[in-house]
Amino acid sequence: MEIERLPESDELLINMGPQHPSTHGVLRILLRTDGELVTGAKPDIGYLHRSLEKIAERVTYAQFMPFTDRLDYLAAANCNCAYAWAVEKLAGIEVPERAEYIRVIVCELNRIASHLIAFGAFTADMGAFTPFLYGIRERERINDLFEMICGNRLTYNYARIGGVSHDLPDGFLDELKDFLDYFEPKIDEYNQLISYNKIFVHRLANVAVVSKEDAIAYGLVGPNLRGSGVKWDLRKDEPYSVYDRFEFDVPVGFGEKGTVGDAFDRYMVRIREMKESVKILRQAIEQIPDGPVMAKVPRVFKPGPGEVYFRAENPRGELGFYIVSKGGTSPYRLKIRTGSFTALTIFDKVARGHLIADIIALIGSFDIVLPEIDR
Amino acid sequence: MDSAVAFLTSKIPFLASLPFWVVAFLVMLVVALVILGFALTYEGIATYIERKVAADIQVRIGPNRVGPNGWFQFIADGVKLLMKEDLIPAKADKFLFVLAPYLVFVGSFAAFVVVPFGISLIAADLNIGVYYVMAVTSLVVIGILLAGWGSNNKWALLGGMRAAAQIVSYEVPVGMALLPAVILAGSLSLQEIIRSQGGYLGIFGWNIFHNPFTFFSFFLYFTAALAETNRTPFDIPEAESELVAGYHVEYSGIRFAFFFMAEYGDMFVVCALAAALYLGGWQVPFVDVSGLSPLLANLLSLGVFLAKVIALILVMMWVRWTLPRLRVDQLMRMSWKYLVPLTFVNVLGVSVWVLAFDGKGIPALVMSLLGR
Amino acid sequence: MGLKQYLKNIWEAVYTIALGMKITARYGIDPSEEITQQYPEEKRQPAERFRGFLHNDVPRCIACTMCAKTCPVDCIEIEFVTGEDKKRKLTRFDINIGRCMYCGLCVEVCPTKCLTHTDGYEKASLSRGELILHFVEPASAEEEEAQEKEAEPEPAPAGAAPAENPSGKEPEGTGGEN
Repeated sequence: MEIERLPESDELLINMGPQHPSTHGVLRILLRTDGELVTGAKPDIGYLHRSLEKIAERVTYAQFMPFTDRLDYLAAANCNCAYAWAVEKLAGIEVPERAEYIRVIVCELNRIASHLIAFGAFTADMGAFTPFLYGIRERERINDLFEMICGNRLTYNYARIGGVSHDLPDGFLDELKDFLDYFEPKIDEYNQLISYNKIFVHRLANVAVVSKEDAIAYGLVGPNLRGSGVKWDLRKDEPYSVYDRFEFDVPVGFGEKGTVGDAFDRYMVRIREMKESVKILRQAIEQIPDGPVMAKVPRVFKPGPGEVYFRAENPRGELGFYIVSKGGTSPYRLKIRTGSFTALTIFDKVARGHLIADIIALIGSFDIVLPEIDR
Repeated sequence: MDSAVAFLTSKIPFLASLPFWVVAFLVMLVVALVILGFALTYEGIATYIERKVAADIQVRIGPNRVGPNGWFQFIADGVKLLMKEDLIPAKADKFLFVLAPYLVFVGSFAAFVVVPFGISLIAADLNIGVYYVMAVTSLVVIGILLAGWGSNNKWALLGGMRAAAQIVSYEVPVGMALLPAVILAGSLSLQEIIRSQGGYLGIFGWNIFHNPFTFFSFFLYFTAALAETNRTPFDIPEAESELVAGYHVEYSGIRFAFFFMAEYGDMFVVCALAAALYLGGWQVPFVDVSGLSPLLANLLSLGVFLAKVIALILVMMWVRWTLPRLRVDQLMRMSWKYLVPLTFVNVLGVSVWVLAFDGKGIPALVMSLLGR
Repeated sequence: MGLKQYLKNIWEAVYTIALGMKITARYGIDPSEEITQQYPEEKRQPAERFRGFLHNDVPRCIACTMCAKTCPVDCIEIEFVTGEDKKRKLTRFDINIGRCMYCGLCVEVCPTKCLTHTDGYEKASLSRGELILHFVEPASAEEEEAQEKEAEPEPAPAGAAPAENPSGKEPEGTGGEN
């Protein structure tokens, strides 16, 4: 890992990470600074590499499901479901409708949980530690709900190829409704507490601007792309599962306090997406049908030869699974494409010319999760 | 000093046989130890309170294991810090590294000398009290700079540089925000200033209610003082999430504790100054403490003063656990573009007011209108 | 920056800060908002489906090794002998809960539902060996072979690491590899 530096210059090379409070895990960034001004930044990844893609070639399709939990530990349910959808697309399995609704419910619930962490960690990076704990408090209730559904609080391993592992427990939908009623006003409270705080706005507005063109050219996805004003949401534009049955908006950044595509826009997109997820959840509670939650899938699951690419809208953008099957019980090749990874590609370009404090805002506003990058 | 020595030598014959400077030195030593004892106890309790306040705001419980309701937590913390390994980085400038924590601590502790705890509870009623505080608290910046440089760590260096820039620029608004009170009292002695705030008006005799300019001055001083003490939202020298821990990133054990105690000591000093200059210091509303017996008067004034200071400290903690941190350039802009001009306007306004109304404040004017 | 904008900036800063501080003050003053649980004293009841430590009800176990085969991280080790009546008898059923990732796949495939998740989640030990749960006492299983009775179903008490399986007899079938 090298970063060029002019000889005889006053520039300072600083190692930010892999142990640093706000690199969100084990990201290492090599910063070249002129005083506080950053003149170059190179992210160095790989500290958390667990070779998930290679593991996939060694285990069966069903056995890989728990590993997708570890892909993006803040949105394990989304990763589970995305993998399940990919394999089902490969094998042409029809999933019962109730199972699809349950998947949508857990995905949206997990999206809220993930955005809560993004919100909390971001504000903590900005120096306000209290909102982080408020976010955690709400997330704790979501974890309780997940514990009700599947028995785990972080690594759910809930989806199965052809459905989900358990039906919803009794009384779950009422609990969910209670939670939504409790949670929705909290979003406005966050906005009052911190989002529109003058200091916070000043820290974020016009900082780390990613233009619409750049965002598309560098392949940003998810809230990072929408923060730059591109209205692109797979749930709307390439509907999968039962997402076409719900009414919801796709929030985009519009330069609310500064330029389109600045850190504040990306932050607000996440805040607003939580509200949209609440909307989807309410509709799902109304619409959910009765029925089985598991399709008939042979115990020794062997999809025919072929290849498939499936992408789903995760809290951190598109999560793509590319699976090549040669007819065996395990994938011949499995490639994972994650949103956090593409966000890092634009890092150097955006970081130049900012202050060290803005680098923190940049990392936080991209909401990267390192296990997803290193895989 | 002279009177204290004369008093002691007349009471204790043994002391009379000693030369004057020995007795004077002993008196100074005792006074210093008493204040040190107070400062250390306060700093311990303040850390406990800070943790409890943070916990309450963050819907947590906070320390509750050591002693009743966790009250002895600070003792456990102190013991832990004392027992920790004292680590000096291999490449550090050892002399500066070791010196820095003492400089920072001395800077904050020396200011306690002129803190007017009660009607006659003051270690030294210097006639330049306000500027003495300004001067010795500036010593802190040297310590922080040395810590940043001596650690031989890039994060520490950045933190030290930030601290130097910050404290130096915030000296100006702090000084300017103190001036209105000095103008009103016509003295730099803290006791003088407090005495001028007593009288029949009760809390309306306090400088903060004197006129609109002093009212704003108080808040400007409080804001600037937050920056002086490196507290959130102005804690950019430490900036936990940016610079890891800033200038004290390499410090551990008791050396770290010195920085920590200095921060809380600074908090006390700036809050004491704010209370003394604008909130009537030890003046008890509607009670003329000077008329009471010396013991009662001192106890009462001590209690009132501490209550005021602790209330201000609580506000500082409340601010800290609510607000995000400013960026380094925004911090400078805030000082030079907002605080400095506004404090200048205030100084000017107060001066004009004093000339126009013969030093009478709004409450006094209202009372005289009402025919008192 | 005109004077109007200048004053507006100040006003906005003061107003938004006051809004935020109002919220933190409300939470700070109201003690009923505290959500901390004093863990060792108060414990929350895990949900019904909670995936805690695994437990094998040995008498019902038919040693089919489905669990070991489906485990993605190979944390279950099974050894058994086939008796005269073609019934398999466990001589070893170890679960390394240090390696287990609580995915629950083994419980789902268990045909007799003898492998279950308990709601236990507290286990701290000073050595990795203590994290291996032995459901069959290796020595006693061989002793009781004559009596055609299975070993006690209780998991080995933590801390008392049982002796290694005396490898006098090669087990006829082993599970766990995949």
